[in-house]
Amino acid sequence: MGSSGDLDRMIEQLQRCEILKEREVKTLCEKAVEILVEESNVQKVEAPVTICGDIHGQFYDLKELFKVGGDCPTINYLFMGDFVDRGFYSVETFLLLLALKVRYPDRIYLIRGNHESRQITQVYGFYDECLRKYGSANVWRYCTDIFDYLSLSALIDNRIFCVHGGLSPSINTLDQIRTIDRKQEVPHDGAMCDLLWSDPDDIDGWGLSPRGAGYLFGGDVCTQFNQNNKVELIARAHQLVMEGYKWMFNDQLVTVWSAPNYCYRCGNVAAILELDEHLTKSFKVFEAAPPEARGVPAKKPAPDYFL
Amino acid sequence: MAHSLSLSSQKTCDRAVRGTNDDATVSKLSCVQLGYFEDDFLKYFVRRASKRAPIINRGYYARVSAFRTLVQQFLDTTDETGSNPEKQIISLGCGFDTGFFQLKARQCEPKRYIEVDFPEVVAKKADVIANEEVLRQLVKFPPVQDGEFHGGGEEGGYSLVAADLRDLDACIKALSRANYDPSLPTLVLAECVLVYLPSDGSQALLQWAAKEFSQAAIVIYEMINAHDAFGEQMIINLEMRGCPLLGLAGTPDLEAQRSRLTSAGWKRSEGCDMRTIYENCLDPVDVRRISRLELFDEFEEWNLIMAHYCIAYGVNDPQGLLASFGLRLHPSHELQQRKVPSKDLYMD
Repeated sequence: MGSSGDLDRMIEQLQRCEILKEREVKTLCEKAVEILVEESNVQKVEAPVTICGDIHGQFYDLKELFKVGGDCPTINYLFMGDFVDRGFYSVETFLLLLALKVRYPDRIYLIRGNHESRQITQVYGFYDECLRKYGSANVWRYCTDIFDYLSLSALIDNRIFCVHGGLSPSINTLDQIRTIDRKQEVPHDGAMCDLLWSDPDDIDGWGLSPRGAGYLFGGDVCTQFNQNNKVELIARAHQLVMEGYKWMFNDQLVTVWSAPNYCYRCGNVAAILELDEHLTKSFKVFEAAPPEARGVPAKKPAPDYFL
Repeated sequence: MAHSLSLSSQKTCDRAVRGTNDDATVSKLSCVQLGYFEDDFLKYFVRRASKRAPIINRGYYARVSAFRTLVQQFLDTTDETGSNPEKQIISLGCGFDTGFFQLKARQCEPKRYIEVDFPEVVAKKADVIANEEVLRQLVKFPPVQDGEFHGGGEEGGYSLVAADLRDLDACIKALSRANYDPSLPTLVLAECVLVYLPSDGSQALLQWAAKEFSQAAIVIYEMINAHDAFGEQMIINLEMRGCPLLGLAGTPDLEAQRSRLTSAGWKRSEGCDMRTIYENCLDPVDVRRISRLELFDEFEEWNLIMAHYCIAYGVNDPQGLLASFGLRLHPSHELQQRKVPSKDLYMD
């Protein structure tokens, strides 16, 4: 690689939903590390930028997202994690986003979701997909090594805090997040785990999460965090919302979900949150890519039900 | 209706509906292998085992647990003298269900246990039983006759008979070949079956059963809530799979499930969506145990899919034998005074 020409070719190839060669993935990942290692745990991002939630390997719906939101690098993007697992095209989805990141490091930001983990991807599909598409786990290994370098959160113009899951009882300030040593597998508990796993809920204070990782946090916790850190909004993803986005806690927090018809089963619409240079917010809601846009369907299993 | 389809597309559709049995059997075996519940016999009916997604495993666990609870309730009921009368279970669209073998292995099978399904399914099941020593021992039957097991005559026992459930006459004839006994307290099981039939077909069956068995309960498990985004997608996906939910339009929600039972002649009808059942009616200690078996990160989806399945049941009980039959708040929950699910028909 080394030249933007090579990268552009890779991007074009991935945009056709064609995988890269194993050694190309290796080179791409090496390049990506150099960029990601420089990013902060609370990565500074400037508006205008479009915030996106979970994608989960739904490649053709990601293309739909770019169609609705505009192409990168014309439009700046922040993806809040969960690029992989569940959908049929985690490899293509993650590599496309990563290639765009390497090509346009200041135009697209990727932060880590709870599925960017070795353990979860072995349960929810990315590992199996790599094995199926490459015949070995090497690509999975390259990608999961990259996951360890992904930033944990982003701060847009010092006013909007973006994170995949939510808050942590062991974190009051952004500076505390900045001190985390993030270059590791997502731990089972602690601050880093909570940021990727927690959910807002209509409770007071903190609650146990049914997910078995992270916490539930109430509006009071959110208010306190926002005041402590002089931010006006927490934008997060992590939870399927049927309408694509959902405001909570008197508009102090918003969930953005960008995987339409999640798992090809849920029937939901997806959304992205566009911020202009004055941080004016507007949501774009979109549906799953029509079947004809998906090209010749590879032999793909039907979504599961109880039959 | 099925007969409005062309013959070939109906055949394809029938094959896909039979295929739902294979899918359910593989899914249940996936649960067994991961420790969700025990079943020593399923493995004989699966050629290629496969590990299913955690959400699917957990959902089958809920379904199997609820059915086992209801079957056990039925078998445990005693009359006013405290004695346990002879009973009968009829499983419609039984597929490769192993309920009989499990009861038999524990020596608590009812006097008669009759299973009905498509001839192709019955033939396959009979073949597996005939070739598997463990199963053959349990059914203790003479050889297969015309691809069926024809019961133990007056002695009762296990029968496996073939009929297309859309054809009520054929269905009654099949049950007659199995020597069904209308005088016995009877539990009719329809586990994810009726929803694949056109509504008028399943209604005829429900009516006949309500009239034929004076002391009986019927338990239905199937999809509901057709009219929201998840429900609409479910209809599309299953149609694409080739097994359209022909009955769903007639019973789009829990209330419709109950009222079709009532109008078919079942005096008491109740129902619950599977999310409510999972959260309230199953043994919370066991639920806690299985919730630790696998990493589980599908909560929003879980709530959605479980709200789109239900168990509905109808009871005719002139002698008061089945007064306490039904899904109830599990005793361990009572201290917490949670909602009684049978009154809480649908949780949004």
